Amino acid sequence: MAYTGVTPSARSRGMVREARHLLVTVAPGATWIVIFLVLPSAYLMGVAFMTNGPYGLPEMPLSLESFRRLAGFGFLGWSPGNLYTLLRSLWQTLVSTGLVVIVAYPIAYYISTCRAKWRPIMLLLVVVPSWTNQVIRTFGWMNLLAPGTPLSNLAEGLGFIAPNMGLYPSNFAVTLGLVYNFLPFMVLPLYAAFEKLDTAQVEAAQDLFASPVRAFWHAVFPQTLPGLLAGIVLVAIPAFGMYVIPELLGGGKGMMLGNLVANQFAGGANWPLGAAGAILMLIATFIGLFAMRRIGKRLGGGEEVVI
Amino acid sequence: MSDTIAAEAIASPGAPQAGEVAGDEASREASSIEMQGLHKRFGRDTVALDGVDLTIEAGEFFTLLGPSGCGKTTLLRILAGLEEADDGRLAIGGKDITEVPPHKRSVNTVFQSYALFPHLSVRENLAFGLKMLGLPREEREARVAKIAEFIKLGDLVDRRVDQLSGGQRQRIALARALVNEPDVLLLDEPLSALDAGLRSQLQVELLRVQKRLGMTFVFVTHDQQEAMVMSDRIAVLNGGVIQQVGPPREVYEHPVNAFVARFMGHDNLYPVTARHHDRLTTPLGELTAEDAGEGGLLLIRPETLDLLPGEVAGDNHLPATVSERLYRGSHAEYRLEIGASTLQATLNNRGRHLPEVGDRVTVSVAPEDLVTLSE
Amino acid sequence: MRKRTLKRGLTAFWWATLAFLYLPLAVVVLFSFNASNSAATFTGLSLRWYGRLMGNEEILSAFANSMILAISSSVIALGIGCLIGYGMYRHRHRKLGWLIVLIYLPIVLPDIVFGISEMAFFVQVHRLTGLLQPGLVTMIIAHVTFQIPFVALIVYSRFVGLDPTLFEAAKDLYASPVKRVVHFMLPTIKPALISAFFLSFTLSVDDFVISFFTAGPESATLPIYIWGAIKKGVSPEINAIATLMIAAVAIAAIISLIFSRRRQA
Repeated sequence: MAYTGVTPSARSRGMVREARHLLVTVAPGATWIVIFLVLPSAYLMGVAFMTNGPYGLPEMPLSLESFRRLAGFGFLGWSPGNLYTLLRSLWQTLVSTGLVVIVAYPIAYYISTCRAKWRPIMLLLVVVPSWTNQVIRTFGWMNLLAPGTPLSNLAEGLGFIAPNMGLYPSNFAVTLGLVYNFLPFMVLPLYAAFEKLDTAQVEAAQDLFASPVRAFWHAVFPQTLPGLLAGIVLVAIPAFGMYVIPELLGGGKGMMLGNLVANQFAGGANWPLGAAGAILMLIATFIGLFAMRRIGKRLGGGEEVVI
Repeated sequence: MSDTIAAEAIASPGAPQAGEVAGDEASREASSIEMQGLHKRFGRDTVALDGVDLTIEAGEFFTLLGPSGCGKTTLLRILAGLEEADDGRLAIGGKDITEVPPHKRSVNTVFQSYALFPHLSVRENLAFGLKMLGLPREEREARVAKIAEFIKLGDLVDRRVDQLSGGQRQRIALARALVNEPDVLLLDEPLSALDAGLRSQLQVELLRVQKRLGMTFVFVTHDQQEAMVMSDRIAVLNGGVIQQVGPPREVYEHPVNAFVARFMGHDNLYPVTARHHDRLTTPLGELTAEDAGEGGLLLIRPETLDLLPGEVAGDNHLPATVSERLYRGSHAEYRLEIGASTLQATLNNRGRHLPEVGDRVTVSVAPEDLVTLSE
Repeated sequence: MRKRTLKRGLTAFWWATLAFLYLPLAVVVLFSFNASNSAATFTGLSLRWYGRLMGNEEILSAFANSMILAISSSVIALGIGCLIGYGMYRHRHRKLGWLIVLIYLPIVLPDIVFGISEMAFFVQVHRLTGLLQPGLVTMIIAHVTFQIPFVALIVYSRFVGLDPTLFEAAKDLYASPVKRVVHFMLPTIKPALISAFFLSFTLSVDDFVISFFTAGPESATLPIYIWGAIKKGVSPEINAIATLMIAAVAIAAIISLIFSRRRQA
């Protein structure tokens, strides 16, 4: 302990070498992400606080105008359009995530009860549709739900929709598209949870509790909670920012926040307004991530919910 | 199972092919190692080595012995070049290699985890070092074939690494290091992951390999029994400082301090409270010692004691009560109470009568078997 | 008894879900062989839409763009991501929280925010410097950005799974730094590199939103072309090109199944 006569050169030479190694390996990737993602995102956030110029491009001076516009205040006074879009996004996220859980939970359980040799194939069958391009998948639903198709005729016959309207474009079609799109994202983490299920606990619970419902609630459900939470993060966050599905299946009345934001850029209409919407989306994303991390940590079990 | 058979084959005396390799090797000059003032710290205040001066002779089987965290592995890694000393010099065969990177040192290591490359076959693993040295293919193949014969690897050479058992991996790792014919071979607890039976077989095998090749081996272990069986000389380390260097017998019978004594397995240490020429006063009573040194601690080795039934008066005779007996077949270990002190004794099981627990006995020790050491 | 009914119910639900998952794809495939151009009624088998594809230069160039984009971005991402994955491994004992945040950023950022950030940035850089005109180059840059994290994490986890002494064994066995990379590291992580490349490739081909916002007028990829065609009014040709893309995915699925089987054996 008392020895302090270390030659500084040998130690510092080693440290310099390690630091240089860190720089050489990490710097290219880190710089790339900083230049091509951190800077652009920072710029986008800045844009939200700028004024809309004549061609939809941002200009000085700084203002909060775009946030006012986002909240619905325009030249013609307040209109509820943007607020509806926002509420619709939340509603669609909530409903589709809920439906995905309802479908995925029994599916993940079923796969875990099948023979080990079939499980990889069953998982693959669930995942493969999501390997095809999102635009194509959504296009498939357009074909299925268009006016005059068997599904639309059925719905018409049952009186759910007006004659010759078809099931799309509609909010229902968007929900369906979202559930379809995100189902595998929920099945995979849930399946992982079921596979690790401690069957001894389940059997003990079956002995302890008379009803299978209570046995499930006390022994099975808590063990699958980490997987469920991971799935909810994987579904809800991208669902809230979804662009393709509402754009193709929703029509004018099915617009979500992603469309509102994208339209301000694609049409060149109003960058600052779009950027303000993007900030809203980011805030929602980080709140979602943060909340899930907190809940995941409190559930403990050493199982950290990581994306 | 197959390990055991193969190991026996090697351990069997007079394998003729081995002599040829040894003959080749004998023409190579073995290398000595000199270390001067080696210091190493990790982080701000973890001292791994605190000034190590050590010379290892050419062709020696040298063991670095100590508890975990004593610095023995750090010292070995500095020899290999895997760790750089903060201060001090290191020379092998008279050549200063303090700043030579590991891949340019004629030193090879047998790692504790064996570290066989999973992406290569056993044969490719064996040839890896030679390939890196740039040897042509024919020579590589010849050298690998020769070492495979020497270590009796048999058909192991054509297996995949993940098909090998622990003992087989260990021998491949040894062969992979030896095939390069390094100046010095370093072994980092190479046998610690093996079960006891296989372990003692491989100890014998390793020793024979070293003697035949005449190569300098530096061996790291925390097992003092292993160290004593294998080594020409042992260095006992503690807290990054060398406590004692010497042949096994010297370290065991004449430890220089309490740490070395305890580490070598001695429990019978008693403070010397007064001394008059050869008469030592200890908590056990008065004892006569011959050339016991000037230390303040008396060491009584359990195997030097004799037990006489009943109370027998005499010089260096101590009355005692047997409080515990562990019967071990060839010998038995006794715990004896003398006043408030306890004393361990180990005796061969001869004769008809063994002392029982509760017996009054007399402990006898020869004056020349007593040594003293410093705290 | 109750258990049996539960199992039967679940089996029925499983097949219903599979039908739900494959119905939209099946419809696309079916109508790609439709004789008429109706999107609602199937009038007979025909290959006319596939014939039209071959003569459609826009589609062929979109296909070429997709391939150029996917391959070049994957190659660049593989190089950069591999380095960063190794750096993260070698320096894992340091505090690299900022690096982890940076790596996860492209993964957690919503597609649309990612896309418009890139677009706004490229447009302004182009206005100010004349560089980075929207087109294949900007698309490659954007794709590399979201591929890097996946490559880095795959390579990192491969390294973490290795015995750390292997690196020392390579040094000890006379391998110079360059030879360590060539004869030890690259061969050892080869499986990780292959799967990282295929994942990057798939992510690139699969992406629509980010490509859409970073593309230029000449650099439409297949998804962008299909998007445009859908927006203009559904043409049966889309069914044909979409069917080909579905077929490619099916082949990839079968290959991955064979590979996982072989690894188990």
